[in-house]
This record gives sequence, structure tokens and C-alpha cells, in this order.
Amino acid sequence: MSKLFPVQEIGSLAKPKWRTKGLRQQLSSQDLSDAEEWAEKLAIQDFHDRAKNILKTSDDRERAKGVLELSTLYGLRLFETAGIDNDGVGGEQQRIEMYEHVIKGVQGMNLLGHVHSFDYKYFNKGVAQSKISRKHPVYVPEFLDVKKYAHRAVKVPITGPYTLVDWSFSGYYIQKQQTSSPRARKIEAKREFLLDIVEQIIRPEIRDLVNAGASWIQIDEPAVTTHPEPQEMELFVEAWNETVKGFNCKFSDHTCYPSEIGYKVLAEYAPKLDKCDHLALEFANRDTSHLGVDENSREGYSDLKHFVDAGFSGEFGLGVAHVHDFTGNVSSGAGQSLGRDIIESPELVRDRLLFATKIVGDPVKIWANPDCGLRTRTWDVAFAKLASITKGAELARETYE
Amino acid sequence: MSPEIQLAGIHPRSEKLIELTRSYERAKTSWNQVEAQLEQETRELIKLQESLGFKHISDGALGWQDQLRPIARSLKRVESGTRYSRWFDTNTFYQKPIVTGKISAGEIDPEKFLRTELLTGERNRKITLPGPYTFSQLSENKYYENYPDLLFDIAVAEREIIKRLRNEGVSLFQLSEPCLVYQPYREIFRDRSEVELALRAIRSVVEDNPGEFVVQTYFGDVAPVLPKLLDLPIYGIGIDLLETEISVLRDQTSKALVLGVVDSRESYVEDPRWIADAARKFCEQVDVQDLVFASNSDLKFLPQEIANQKLEALSKASELFEGSR
Repeated sequence: MSKLFPVQEIGSLAKPKWRTKGLRQQLSSQDLSDAEEWAEKLAIQDFHDRAKNILKTSDDRERAKGVLELSTLYGLRLFETAGIDNDGVGGEQQRIEMYEHVIKGVQGMNLLGHVHSFDYKYFNKGVAQSKISRKHPVYVPEFLDVKKYAHRAVKVPITGPYTLVDWSFSGYYIQKQQTSSPRARKIEAKREFLLDIVEQIIRPEIRDLVNAGASWIQIDEPAVTTHPEPQEMELFVEAWNETVKGFNCKFSDHTCYPSEIGYKVLAEYAPKLDKCDHLALEFANRDTSHLGVDENSREGYSDLKHFVDAGFSGEFGLGVAHVHDFTGNVSSGAGQSLGRDIIESPELVRDRLLFATKIVGDPVKIWANPDCGLRTRTWDVAFAKLASITKGAELARETYE
Repeated sequence: MSPEIQLAGIHPRSEKLIELTRSYERAKTSWNQVEAQLEQETRELIKLQESLGFKHISDGALGWQDQLRPIARSLKRVESGTRYSRWFDTNTFYQKPIVTGKISAGEIDPEKFLRTELLTGERNRKITLPGPYTFSQLSENKYYENYPDLLFDIAVAEREIIKRLRNEGVSLFQLSEPCLVYQPYREIFRDRSEVELALRAIRSVVEDNPGEFVVQTYFGDVAPVLPKLLDLPIYGIGIDLLETEISVLRDQTSKALVLGVVDSRESYVEDPRWIADAARKFCEQVDVQDLVFASNSDLKFLPQEIANQKLEALSKASELFEGSR
């Protein structure tokens, strides 16, 4: 039997200050002091050699390359040290963020400025100003670095076409529509824009990744559950199936923070997604923070039933750790509330996994992961959460041994 | 008289303010620096509204983190802070209010709602708040056994909050009720009795001074509920013109209708002639004298520069519309 409750990351880790600064300007040895501290924790043997090269080079591109490679290495080792089984691409250290990073590689799109997402989080929103095409490869350079350093399995998260379109202004695509109804114009523009993104941008990216050796691609589609209307969901399915067509690769979907019935609707359409072997979903955010494997204690996981009832037969990546600010109460034994964070205890993680197993019926189908990428948490907090997930998965495993 | 122009919700922050808030979050900037920029931008927005001839001035709620939070934080036995939920079908999120006991108004700090000290002109002050029905729909109820009890306790508490804000000189309250027209996230679509209940809750909020209220709908088609909304004893009703099937409207009203005619979720700036024309087409369907032009929802979904251009387009459209009447 393969290992039960394997642990995966979902995507991003916070970017260390030296990584962000090092892309823009020369670094001092002081700037790298934080990196030196983590080098010890993560057993980065050649840190001093790498640091020397980064500090001595006066070539901006060479420095940026060294910094990105080093932060990718750190991300991979952080995941490894925390005990994760699949290390993704080391916390997406080579990306700006999930949206802007891709849009910058699209000819015909411009970034217009930042818009609010939540609290003091924003994203730089793009507009299609003409028919789009690919400017340059987006994910492969990062994957090649990851391949060099990863000791464990690798999964490449990419931003899905539906989300890229949904988060952009349609611009050219809406203005060219002739119909007089504003609603009809929007949906027609969206379909045309979406199919262009699939053909011109996403499929070429996947082709390059598969050719470079990627065997698991996670398609991030947080936007899909925001439009639960059948017309939109069918558009999503059409785009997904077109995206994965003909590729020999494992595909998974990651969708988080849905609208109220978002997961119910996604569940209905998930069996229609070709080659979708795995769904990584957010649950901890909506769960209680006390121990137990009963329905009340684990109310956050009830939506999992919809996927089982709808006949999705693949794996589930179960969100067992919260990734945003937390200011509630934590019951005894369920973890610790530290400032703006909750560090879930291994026992809480265990209970979440065991409850989910009761719903899914087969522990082999369940992976443990944070709700989403951990970019909003510090590395200390991210590490503590991941270590708890690893220990919690071990505890859950023990109940089956 | 040309149609009035109004802000219909939260206005976007500038790139400068955004950068400061991000820097503040990383503990690299003091709150005083953020606050100074917030104040300057609020002043600029007020000035812009004045220069465009707005009669009701809003502060733009630039400091609000989401549409529900100031109300949620002013209610007793409503918690928030543990869970983020998506704001309808947008890429923005709100802290979900969690109802843990019988709701009543708590300590109300007007500063959490508006920048009274900056709204110093003689013009009327407007504020946008979530209506009781939408607030209840977007909350998680862990206490009430009967939904109407939850809804009416929210309405009563909101009335208290509004009373306090009226003392701060607010004379126009926009109650945003997108849930009256947009509910794809619900398993069971609202029926007539639920609409009646929602309207009763709204009546309960507005009963002291009904003439000071606009009920704004957005993200959905108002047509099925418009006749009922027009029966409310209030100053005006807001309509999302980009989502509403206007060809089926056959109404007549003496109320003000706030036409959400520019798209707060698309970046192209509408041609003022197109806006005026859309308003004219609307008036062919609905017999209305008092029109207000606005965006179809909060402009916070756009970069600030574009949002400001849309306000200017609305102002020009208002003149064009009047000129052609």
C-alpha cells in the first residue's frame, strides 16, 4: 500500500526580503543575514559560496538569477525539512504572484494598476488591449531550476485560464462584441477571450513543461466558483478540457474560497473535467478550531460530501491548515493562537483527515495540505504549520496501522 | 435640471495609498503616514465630487476593508476575523460576520464609518451601508433558530447605527441590497415571502426618516422586484442597468431612480453619449422624473484613475441627457 495521507504544498511561500530587494538592487552582507540564519536551519551547504557570488556580481541579471535560484532552493528545502512529500516548485519564488506573473508574458495585455482584494492585499489587474498571443515562456525557466534541486516529487502549479480571464478586464474582447445586451456582450467576450488564453498561452506553457519533464500540473482556478451559473460552469469545463487535451501528465485542480454554494456547484461539474485526478480544496478556513471527528466539530468539511455524491472518483487535497489572519479562540489541544496566526496542532490536523476519510470512504484518496499557498504567513509560521500537517498526517496514518 | 451624480459605494485607493498600506503591513511605514495619505485622498475625492456638481458628497470610504466590516464591528454578539468569504462573483473578499448571540447595536464609533471632519462643505453627506437583508444573507448564523428574528434584530441595530450617523450630519443613506437581485450562491432561490420579509426589514430600518434612504440593487436584474421596491416609502431605488432587462420594465414612479449605468467591473470608460442614450432608453420604458446617474456598484473594483474618469463621464452624460430632454 502506498503511503497514506501524503502531504503537499499548494503553491506560494512568502518571499524573503533579500529575494525581493535582490531583484532590484545590489545586496549587502547585512541583507543576507536572514538568509544565513535560515541556511543553517535548512542545511543549505553551499550558502556562503552562493552568497559570495551574489554579493560580488555587478551584473543585475546575474544577481537576479542567483537570487531567484537561491530562494527557490530555500523554498524546496523548507518544504523538505518540514516533511512535505511533494515540494511543488519551492514556493513559487520565481513568480511575482499567480496572476501578474502570467499576464506579463502575454502580448496584447497591459497591467492597468492595483485593485483591492482584501484587507491590505491587492492585485495588479490587466486588460486585453488587442488579440492576445504568447510573449515568452512563463513557467519553464522556474521548473528547470526546481528540477535541478528538488529531492522529492514535484508538482507545478499554474494559473488556470478561467481565472486569468475572470480577473482581467476584457477590453478588446468586449468592445468588439456587436450585440446590444450588456449581459450577452460580457459572456460572448469572456468565451472568446478564454479560448484565446487556452490556445495561445496555457497550452503552449503546458506543452513546454511536459517536454521539460513535468509529470503533475496543478491548475489553480480560484475564480471558477465565483460564477455558479450553468453557463459559466460549462464555459469552465470547456476551457479545462481544451487545456488538458492530448497531454500525458497528471492534472489537478486547486480551487479555494468559493462562494456560498461554490463547492456544491464545482462538485457537480468536477466529474466532467477530463484528466482531473485530484482536487485540492480549502476547508480549514471554515472549520472550528477544536478537536473531534464528529460533524459539529468538523463542520468546515461538510462540502466534501458533494464531491463524493456527485461521483468524483479522484483524490482530494484536503486543506487542513488556515493560511490567513486568525483572531478567534482555539480550544485546548487544537493549536495555538499567536498574534495574527493560528498554528494548528497535529491532533487537529489528524481529526480533520480522519473526518474527511469517513466521508470519502478511502484513505488512499486523501492528501493533506494547507488551504492555499502560504505566502501571507512568515516563514516561521509557514514552517510550523507545515510541520504540524506532517505530524498530523503521521498521527492519522497510525490509526490505520 | 440635469440628473444628479452620486458615488454608489467604496471608491478605489490610489497606487500611492496602496503602496503605503502594503508597506504598513510589512511594518515599514507608520500608520500616521498611511493616515495622512488617506486624508489627502479623501479631500481630493470630495473636491472632485464638488467640481463635478455632486449634490450629495461621500468620503469614498477609502479606509473600509470591506462593505460589511464597520457594521459588523458595531454589533454585539457578531464576531468576525476568522473567516474570509468571496464578495459575490468578484475577486474581493470580506470578513464573514458570525452571529453568536442575540444581535443589538454595540458601541458605535462614527469615525469607523465616515470622515466627518473632512466633509465640511455645505453639501449633503451620503454614506453607503449594507442593507439588513444583504447583511443577514452574508453572515453565518450560529444562534437564531428563525431567520426572521435574525433579520429584524439586524434591522433594529442598524437603525440605531443610522441614528448615530444622522447626528454626524449624514442626510442620505444608501442601503445596498445586492442579495435582493443576485443569489446564484443560494441553493434555494428566494421566494415572494422572503422578498416581503426583506422589504419589511428595510421598512424597519428606514421608518424614522424614510426620505433619507436609497435602496441600491446591483449584480443582478431588478425587474422581478422593482414594483415591490417602488412601494417602499423611501427617496430612491438603485438599479444595475448592466444587469437589468430593461425591455420588460413598465413602471411609473415619483421616486428617484439611481441608474447604475457605468460598469464598475470593466476598465473602458463609457462614452458620455452612450451613457445619456442608455438613460434615455430607460426612460422610454419607465416613467420617471428624478434620475440619478451612478456606477452600477462600488468603483473599488477599478484602479482609481479609471474610476475618476468614469465619474467625469457620468457628469458629462448628465449634461448631455438634460440637453436632449
